[in-house]
Amino acid sequence: MDEHELKEEIRLIKDMVEKTRKTTAESGAVFIFWGFVIIAAIIGTYALIYFSQPRWIWINWIAFMALGFIFSAIHSSRRDKTEKAKTYAQINFEYLCKGCAIVFVLMGLVFPMLNIYSYEVIPILMATIGGLLLFVTGVIYELSFLKWCGGLWWVGALAMIPIPGDYRSLAFIPLLIVGYLVPGFIFNSRYRKNRPANDNQ
Amino acid sequence: MTINKFPPLDPVIHSQVRLAVLSVLIGVKEADFNYLKKVTETTDGNLSTHLSKLEEAGYMTIKKSFKGKKPVTTCSITEKGKRAFARYLEALKDYLPPASNQETKE
Repeated sequence: MDEHELKEEIRLIKDMVEKTRKTTAESGAVFIFWGFVIIAAIIGTYALIYFSQPRWIWINWIAFMALGFIFSAIHSSRRDKTEKAKTYAQINFEYLCKGCAIVFVLMGLVFPMLNIYSYEVIPILMATIGGLLLFVTGVIYELSFLKWCGGLWWVGALAMIPIPGDYRSLAFIPLLIVGYLVPGFIFNSRYRKNRPANDNQ
Repeated sequence: MTINKFPPLDPVIHSQVRLAVLSVLIGVKEADFNYLKKVTETTDGNLSTHLSKLEEAGYMTIKKSFKGKKPVTTCSITEKGKRAFARYLEALKDYLPPASNQETKE
């Protein structure tokens, strides 16, 4: 074996590893959908307050959450059918999402409904967990902008503390747009860019 | 410059296609045949031959199944394959002259 052949082999390994790393089969569709679902649920909450129907607020949230989970389940099942390669990063991301979804439901719905704490702290808790989700996703996929978005959510959680309880959810909307929908669209554009490697034959 | 003072590299891995396949499989839990064909830029027949050699050596497993009505061939690297690949990389580093070895690390 000569030196040229040796270098060619190393280049080939690097190329393959890089191609596989770029196969980010995460389309960002779930990010984008959940972003809009939560914004709709927040607007729904304020509409119910405006029309003096506060007893429907929990139903409003449960309905939107159910919609989000149904979409996520359908999306995941369709992706499993079309996926060409499953990276360890994708597996880690899936479990992170499932774990965070359970925490969101417990801390955002179940615990406040059981009066363990006031509904006023929900946005702060959700922003904290949302930050964790984005930060760890950034670590898994080696995407710095997601790590920064995670940090932004944590800063947002702190910034929500002085805001009166009833208005905290409104502060959540710009945070969702900047820290959730924007990374979702960036994720989506990267997915489209790398799609030739992900597509079916 | 010819380097021949080191023992030969693992002949099962020492082929462009098989090395490419293992380099992909090392980073994924599993990959299907069409995906491997696309990233390694090979033909069906050529890839099949190389996959069989890797499977015979116990470096990877090939699972045939159906997704709906569509047949799917899924490949994954085995523990033996991971160890062989790691040994192969170590051996490659030994083959490089000191200056190139440093360059590769960077």
